Amino acid sequence: MPPNKRWITLFIIFVIISLVLGCQEERKSIESRCDYDGVKIEPIYAVYFTLQDGTEKKFCSIACASMSFSALKKQIREVRVVDEPSGNKINASEAFFVESDIVTVPHVKNRIHVFAKKEDALKHIQKFKGNWVENPFLS
Amino acid sequence: MILNALSITMIFLGVLSVLLTIWGGTSSLILYRKWKRPSRPEEKTSLEDRSYLILLIMVIVLLVRLINWPLFYITLQSFILDIEGAMCIFGVTQVKPGLTRFLEFLKPITFFLIGGWFILHILDRATKTSPLMRRKLFLLSIISLLVLIDSLGDIFLILGIAPESLVSCCTTITDILNRPTRTTPEAFFGPEYAHPLQVLFFITHLALIGIIGITLKSKTLEITFLRRRPILGLLFLFAILNAFIFLLSQIEVFAPRMMHLPFHHCLYCLWQYVPDSIAMYLFFILGTFSVGWGFTTDLFGKIGEASDLLSNYLRKIYWFAFFFLLASLILLIIHLLLD
Repeated sequence: MPPNKRWITLFIIFVIISLVLGCQEERKSIESRCDYDGVKIEPIYAVYFTLQDGTEKKFCSIACASMSFSALKKQIREVRVVDEPSGNKINASEAFFVESDIVTVPHVKNRIHVFAKKEDALKHIQKFKGNWVENPFLS
Repeated sequence: MILNALSITMIFLGVLSVLLTIWGGTSSLILYRKWKRPSRPEEKTSLEDRSYLILLIMVIVLLVRLINWPLFYITLQSFILDIEGAMCIFGVTQVKPGLTRFLEFLKPITFFLIGGWFILHILDRATKTSPLMRRKLFLLSIISLLVLIDSLGDIFLILGIAPESLVSCCTTITDILNRPTRTTPEAFFGPEYAHPLQVLFFITHLALIGIIGITLKSKTLEITFLRRRPILGLLFLFAILNAFIFLLSQIEVFAPRMMHLPFHHCLYCLWQYVPDSIAMYLFFILGTFSVGWGFTTDLFGKIGEASDLLSNYLRKIYWFAFFFLLASLILLIIHLLLD
């Protein structure tokens, strides 16, 4: 084999190996990120969908989750959100949703806040000029 | 202004480019006008000496401007952490959206023209009588104007991006249902447009590679320029059409798949999450531009002694196009297979 061809062959092999390793690394790094836009998730604002087959989808904000909700509606078994004051995961149907001036996740300008207790939600409404919003995950 | 090594480099290169292109562009225009006038041998020698100096300096400036295109995006990427709400380059572009969009449109044009000029320069240097010198100087004065606007734009943009700016990022814009990249293919293929768009991309891309291959194997590049030019022109138009389909299919089909984010359509996020996709884009751009450079070289390089060398140079340029387009396709296929 002429030296030039040998180098080209080596280069192609190198590219293929790098791609394989790169793809595996990408898959690992994407596991802890939002399933809508890939952003790193702040656990206190996260939303979790449990699908019919048992797999879980996680999102960085109510905004990203509600954009995915319409497409995944039929596959979703349960939606869980995080109570902002305590950080506990609760079922979306039991949560109180408030929209206020405070932005939780800036890149999507998400202003919807989640509370497990009505009194916490009311406090937030009074303090930050908020108003009640409907559960965005009603099917 | 966000101060970091890249922003300082951008401003330094911008200021340097502005100063040198004002001088180089004006000088090349003056030389262009003087070149054809009959003059005494000593005047001719003085003109030639001056042209060599201008070309030498402008070659360096233009090389810097070639590097400036990727550097522009690397610099924007470095600003992400300082802009509140930015998760990728898209967020940074939203701080000064008008100027950034203008520069994003201007930079590929400048890159293409500089590349085309370099090929003419190399072709001219291979001759003994420099038959392309006058054309080179004229084109250089036009390119200088674009480089000047581009460099000034860079300086104003980098100075104008304030830290702590609050922006919305790509999710709220590139993923909306009535985005043009969705509505355009939907108008042709209906709601299930993803699969036909993907097939269309593979057909046009393979067809482009195939036609370039046939052009290289047949005698197309050796025939008279009157017959050759329309063929190369059509090939260039087809490459532009292919680029348009590539962009659509990347945004709508391939980028979401490569990122494993089926609802997200941002190419800047793709470069961030799948960095090796940048190589695919680089190959695609170089391949598509090479097809255009083949056409522009044929358009401007057909004069005097350069005409004899032209077909050999065209062959090399189309080999580049063939290789780069094929390489970008292979990278895409490897990615889709591995994912």
